[in-house]
Amino acid sequence: MLTVKINGKEVEVPQGTTILDAAKEAGVHIPVLCHDSRLNPFGACRVCLVEQVGMPKLQAACTTPVTDKMELITESEKLSRVRKTAIELLLINHPLDCPVCDKGGECTLQDLTYEVGVTKVRFDAVPNDTPVDHTNPFIERDIDRCVLCGRCVRICDEVVNIQAISFLNRGTDTQIGTSFDQPWNCEYCGQCISVCPVGSLNNRVYLFKNRPWNLESEKTVCGLCSCGCTVSIDYEGNEVFRMNEMPEEGVNHGYMCAKGRFGFDFMNSVKRETEAQITVGGEAKKASVTEAVEYASEKLKAMNTDSVAIVVSPRITNEEAFLAKKLADAIGTKNIFSTETDAIMPGATYEDVENSDAVAVLNINVTESNPILGLAVRVAARKEGSSLITFYPSETALKRVTTKFVTGNPVELAADMEKFCAAFAGAENEFTADAKRLLDAENPVVVFDAYNMADAYIAQEIQKACSKVKLVPAKAKNNSAGVVDMGFGVNAPEDFAKGVETGKFKAVISFGENIAVRTGWSKLTGALSKLELLMVTDPFMSDTAKLANVYVPVATFAEKSGSFTNLEGRVQLVSKAVDKGVVSDAEIISGLAKGLGTELPTDAYAVRKLIEKEVKLYADVQWDGGTVAYPSVFKTELAKVATTAAGSGKFYLYPASLRLHSGSYTRWSPDLAKVYGAPVLDVSVEDAKEMGLNKDDKVKLKGDGFTGEFVVEINKQVTKGCISLPEDFVETADIFSNGRYLKAEIIK
Amino acid sequence: MRRNIFETIFFSEILKGLSITLGYMFTKPVTYKYPYEATPIQDRFRGVQYIKTNEDGSTKCVGCYLCQKVCPSECIHIETDCGPKGERLIRKYELDLSRCIYCGYCEEVCPVDAIHMGCEWNTVDNTRDNYVINMKTLSQNYKDNVAGNWKNKHLKKKLVEGVQQ
Repeated sequence: MLTVKINGKEVEVPQGTTILDAAKEAGVHIPVLCHDSRLNPFGACRVCLVEQVGMPKLQAACTTPVTDKMELITESEKLSRVRKTAIELLLINHPLDCPVCDKGGECTLQDLTYEVGVTKVRFDAVPNDTPVDHTNPFIERDIDRCVLCGRCVRICDEVVNIQAISFLNRGTDTQIGTSFDQPWNCEYCGQCISVCPVGSLNNRVYLFKNRPWNLESEKTVCGLCSCGCTVSIDYEGNEVFRMNEMPEEGVNHGYMCAKGRFGFDFMNSVKRETEAQITVGGEAKKASVTEAVEYASEKLKAMNTDSVAIVVSPRITNEEAFLAKKLADAIGTKNIFSTETDAIMPGATYEDVENSDAVAVLNINVTESNPILGLAVRVAARKEGSSLITFYPSETALKRVTTKFVTGNPVELAADMEKFCAAFAGAENEFTADAKRLLDAENPVVVFDAYNMADAYIAQEIQKACSKVKLVPAKAKNNSAGVVDMGFGVNAPEDFAKGVETGKFKAVISFGENIAVRTGWSKLTGALSKLELLMVTDPFMSDTAKLANVYVPVATFAEKSGSFTNLEGRVQLVSKAVDKGVVSDAEIISGLAKGLGTELPTDAYAVRKLIEKEVKLYADVQWDGGTVAYPSVFKTELAKVATTAAGSGKFYLYPASLRLHSGSYTRWSPDLAKVYGAPVLDVSVEDAKEMGLNKDDKVKLKGDGFTGEFVVEINKQVTKGCISLPEDFVETADIFSNGRYLKAEIIK
Repeated sequence: MRRNIFETIFFSEILKGLSITLGYMFTKPVTYKYPYEATPIQDRFRGVQYIKTNEDGSTKCVGCYLCQKVCPSECIHIETDCGPKGERLIRKYELDLSRCIYCGYCEEVCPVDAIHMGCEWNTVDNTRDNYVINMKTLSQNYKDNVAGNWKNKHLKKKLVEGVQQ
């Protein structure tokens, strides 16, 4: 430990601490502009200069490590003069458009200008007047406002590892941009916006909509995928203006993805329903929520208990899922379903992944499907001496950091993964060295797709061969783990299909699930519309809601309180930020139960107490960020599943993960839809050349039992002989209901 | 106390006392016969606001929300948005005159010299809705203020004419 004296105050800090961190320890404030604790020290702005006793020159606090018995002064006449000049020099080229700048009010440069007390312009101001760049669909770029702190460049390199932007030119001509002014080759994560201290990079979804001082914030958990990011919902009145990061907070360390940062606008959508709807004899009429719930419960009363099925969406909270289970008990039915399975449970935390020294990613495009888990994998892979092996049909963003990247058509890839698995048991093949790296590693981690049983089997075998391997099943939805814990996911989707098709189920109640666009479920739409009662709750008039006899609009995650369990099994609290005048699923469930003669609480806290009593896993869980202690990742031993591509055709078709869409909510976001609105068929460069396909061509896709028309996108990352389509679109759910991997033909 | 005979005879004390009154009798009166006569508006008078326009008729206001923030009676309501070309667009600018206390903070805070306190002071109307004025009215107020024809001036003129007839 080193002893440092800062402004006469002595602190003890470990070796390697910077002056800035030591000052923080001592409770001394040092102004900073280019520093971000998540990034490597840079020392570009010279605002954090401090005086060291006995040294003639000033030291930059953010880059200088402390030495023993160092004596520092952070406030003096000389320092305030130097800091003031540093800011004044930055302001020479900075346009004075704070009134129209979106950053105004939360701008670090503004704050520093006040702090150092710049009141007069000493230098001749030469503000630049370059046109604002709108080429990026989500990020507005005004390079005139840039102070060249390099935070955006550094976060894009050090954290996101996309390196979309860099410093261009030298000296006074320096600016941030891409080489040869090409458009950004960008993941749209918006991390650069979050770190920009000035208004150079702005969120185009929030652009000019409001000013920060008008907004109130509510700390909550994002409900768009299973990463479980801590975010703040900034709102005024009952309108959500932005979903913002909480700097350095939560499992996501303040990072977010495109869905969270730019896709929140669906909450304010005018397409959201406000009134319930009852359809009798093909005629839809508007009704109040109470009427709709009473109508449904009357119908339920008259029914045989075994003919009622309840489906819950993994988007609803733990509390609501628990209440839905209670409702099923009140009805007396055991037919409870969800799109999730209880065969695979969460196994490791982000921390485990970040601290891992050998990672294997099995057949999942993790940076697209679970962007924050993708960031953790990148952190692990970029560490000195660590390794990463990735299997995926096409090249993914992990290619830059991966030690070995295995591509090939899905069947070849499955064979490769099997070889990799066999190498753990001692087999000699091309993966022996890679398997050895994992075997020798201290904290090996395997990331796999929780919905692909063939991959899960391989993960299970790897864990058997190497017991220290930690498994991370990448789940899809915000509460995928939670609804299973609350009792859903025990019954297979096939039972649901059978029940609906044979007419065993006369009533289906779907809480938030959009059955019509779920792979494996979408073919049931015909049978569902013939049911005596189909009750659907959804914030939007979804494809399933259109078939329903009773439809009730409900709240999204920003409008209710509760908790979500994310992919690491961490339970986190969701708090209500706005009120859009619609009820939550909990209130509907308790309304239905009341009609059947059972009283259920709706208050999230009361339900949580009940869960603690009745759900063993959650008996003493810490609701605000504690992890659930799952006994094991796999409930029972998985059997080997052969990977085959059904049908005949020239191309292997596989489902792709999308960064911009993860389910049904995000599809209602106008800004995300602008960039990716309809499913696009990704074709490799070689195949496109061979077939004479161009970008945006409309082609027919034909396979065994399906046809479809799609727009072509030529993607240089796709392997020859493979094509991919996103899952969970109305047009594609039917296709992938035939199987995960298919063979198909493209007809021009 | 001995009295001066002259003072008694010539009422000099009374005359002395009346001298001020008599003096004012022959000067111009300082009061105005409102409502028959217009009261002058001083340079720093704070009446109903106006918002300046550019030469092409577009508003000078940039929608920075500073007047809304500084307003102690919370009478200003602004809504902005991003225009199709990525420009700042003012969707709504409303000022509730029934709430306004004419403190002039909005004028003081405006960074682009757009909003000003005008000369108009007569805001009486039949309905409360008419007290809420928008950008169009505020821009029209600017023209009226430049031309010097605010509403109360017309009113007084009419009254004066009526009395004369």
